[in-house]
Amino acid sequence: MRITKSPAQVESIQESWGSRLRLDPLHCRWNTVMLFLTPALLIYAAFTAFPVLRTFYNSFHRIIPGGGTTFVGLANFAELFTRDPTFWKAVKNTLLWASVQPCIEVGLGLLLALCLYAKVPFARVFRVLWFTPVLLSYVVVAIIWMWIYNYDWGILNGLLRWIGLADYAHTWLGDPKTALWSCMFTQIWMWTGFNMVVSLAAVSALPAEVLEAAELDNCGWFKKLFFIIIPMIRPTLLNLLILSFMGKMRIFDLVWIMTGGGPLWSTETVATYVYKRAFDWNTFDLGYPSTIATVWFIVVLFFVLTLYTLLRQRDKLEY
Amino acid sequence: MSLILRNWKRALLMIILSGYTAFAAGPFIWVSMMSLRTTPEINDNPYTFPEAFHWEKYAVAWSESDYSVYFWNSAMVTTIAVLAVTIIASMTAHCLARYRFPGNRLIFFIIFSTLIFPPQIVMISLFQVLVKYGLFDTHLGLILVYIALQMPLTVFILEGFFSRLPQDLYDAAKMDGYSNFESYWRLTLPIGLPAIATTVILNFIHIWNEFLFAVVLIASDEKRTLPLGIQKFYGDRLEDVGMIATGVMISVIPVILIYIFFSEKMIQGMTAGAVK
Repeated sequence: MRITKSPAQVESIQESWGSRLRLDPLHCRWNTVMLFLTPALLIYAAFTAFPVLRTFYNSFHRIIPGGGTTFVGLANFAELFTRDPTFWKAVKNTLLWASVQPCIEVGLGLLLALCLYAKVPFARVFRVLWFTPVLLSYVVVAIIWMWIYNYDWGILNGLLRWIGLADYAHTWLGDPKTALWSCMFTQIWMWTGFNMVVSLAAVSALPAEVLEAAELDNCGWFKKLFFIIIPMIRPTLLNLLILSFMGKMRIFDLVWIMTGGGPLWSTETVATYVYKRAFDWNTFDLGYPSTIATVWFIVVLFFVLTLYTLLRQRDKLEY
Repeated sequence: MSLILRNWKRALLMIILSGYTAFAAGPFIWVSMMSLRTTPEINDNPYTFPEAFHWEKYAVAWSESDYSVYFWNSAMVTTIAVLAVTIIASMTAHCLARYRFPGNRLIFFIIFSTLIFPPQIVMISLFQVLVKYGLFDTHLGLILVYIALQMPLTVFILEGFFSRLPQDLYDAAKMDGYSNFESYWRLTLPIGLPAIATTVILNFIHIWNEFLFAVVLIASDEKRTLPLGIQKFYGDRLEDVGMIATGVMISVIPVILIYIFFSEKMIQGMTAGAVK
């Protein structure tokens, strides 16, 4: 005796098998999910979620290490907003840094990427060499550039003296007027290669026909850049701008090693100021720096979300 | 005529590109030259090729100034943290990419949104927490913090890759009697190896170079990682440029060695979070 099944029956059996496999019905599902997620969730709860909440809590307290915690309400916030000029100096520096540098970095990176895209010889070698600064640690970068900016034997002053502009030789990191820009320049040196590589990947992924069509239409280099290339790789550029912006809003290492925030607070950033107030000044209070961190957290969140909504492409380009 | 103009343009472009190359790679080459010269030689002329290669400076820096200690500390912390974060994040990514359950996207979003957080928001309270549980100034504490720090980006990259693996593979594995853990261990991990290698490189560089949390969470000299070690070394011997350059090079050499052999993979790894 043979059991025969109609095609419809077979299909329905297959379907039920399929759906069981695909959706994996309730039994043992939570066990599985928990097995996979527990380690990550534990780490996340203990070393990210709890500390963030703890910082919010801290910001309403005065905390003397080993000496207890007192609730002070909004006193820390009041002090921050009304009686702390150093903080505002740090905010100004950080915002200046975070608004100027991403544009230079991404713009320069895109230009360099276009140069390599124009099929110059040795493009691969250029790309690999330009990327190296990103791999170095901030400590290494800071030490190298402190030597470059050195007054007596640094190469920057050396070059200026060599071309006869000895008057412009400078203690670049020691002068409040140039210190911030010098730090910024170092960062540009470090990150342009990164932006170049990402832009190059985006430009290379563009369909050749579009660019060829533009060339047939006698579209100039400048127009091609602004009306075709930039709009088409806009999501990538936006990503890079936001990444760079976030990086600059938290900049600590480089400034800390190169200038320590000085001279005269001219390179003080919010990150270095938080660190100073928490661990470096003998003010013995972890509450106030937590307040700064909380306020800054909200500011960063606000800026990132605004930038993202403002610059996002509403209608996605298909190509 | 137009050919001349074209060549001239090309030449100009090449000059600009070479100039930028000198700018981008020059400082590093300069330091590697100085690392092989003695400080008196450098004081005579900082910008020249070494006349004699003083390789012995590496041995001196390594043995006489705790560099070996810093190096092994960094090596240990980085290895353990990278291993742990790879396993934990790949498990999470596998689960989020493969199984449907209520809250899946919520968990993904929570982990993902952490990428925006500036580190200052956890820095002070992590210090408090670690002090309280006796983990302050220990490598274990630092490793745990690094795992938490690198997890969001790793999960984000791996989830993107794992979710594109064909479901048929997993259905077939299930028919063959694979348990869920087996399908992670014997399917996702081997197939996802390219993406995992990318995140391993990224995490290795980030942790090897990390400075802020090391400064906050490590206090004693013998527990310093390389970035802290270099900073101390620099502070101790401010005038001894040649020796500092050697010290700097010791910390950079592992990274550069990997870069020479796997430059494409490394570029891909470092930019993985930015390319979509």
